[in-house]
Amino acid sequence: MRDRPSGFGNPWLQLVLSVMCVLVSELLLKRGASETADPASEWSWTGINSLASPLVWWAIILIIISFISWLYVLKYIPLTIAFPLSRVVDILVPLSCWIFLGEVISARRWCGIGLVVVGLALVAKPIARIEERL
Amino acid sequence: MTLLSLFFIVASLLSFVGAQLVLKRAMESTIQSIGLRSLRFISRMAAGIALMTISFFLTLGLLQRFDLSYLYPFQGLSVIIITLLAAVILKEKLTMQLTIGGVLISAGIVLVSLS
Repeated sequence: MRDRPSGFGNPWLQLVLSVMCVLVSELLLKRGASETADPASEWSWTGINSLASPLVWWAIILIIISFISWLYVLKYIPLTIAFPLSRVVDILVPLSCWIFLGEVISARRWCGIGLVVVGLALVAKPIARIEERL
Repeated sequence: MTLLSLFFIVASLLSFVGAQLVLKRAMESTIQSIGLRSLRFISRMAAGIALMTISFFLTLGLLQRFDLSYLYPFQGLSVIIITLLAAVILKEKLTMQLTIGGVLISAGIVLVSLS
């Protein structure tokens, strides 16, 4: 982790931005793909017919934004740290369904979310030490 | 799950993992002040974007057939695979703490999707 910019150029901030864009795009993609599902069509395995849905295009824009900020993250943070941290999105998706859509989260799902949080804490802890040294 | 769908799930996972490794390499070369126009940077970036695109469309195709929650455990595996490959191929330092953290994250993602 070498000299890195602060402010908007802070790679940790960019990691958060990237994760947020992925979170929203996942939800949009699922809806867009379901809307346009046509398993009978010959090319459906390629997913190409989902391009007919505007939701998928919004998702693509978000993916491009997240991709650019992710590239920026890769420039400064090792993949062994950045990638596991980016998977915080895997608990943000069910949590946002719970908070915003009123979906029920089962006990087993809470356990899974707990495991991810502990794992994220383990991955993030060495970073705190590295940052202190800087 | 048919053999065909397993094939597409693995293919989308592998293209995603490959893309991350290639892109990390590409972005590292920008730090070593090799210009953005260098052939090495451009070819790695192009390969990364191509793999990302393949993975994107394969995932869309899978989403048309399966629930997101069904496909998610497979994405969860990507944490373990990428962490290990980054250590082996990119020679990044992998501590015990990072390894355990990665395994817990993957296990948690699988649990979340199974419930």
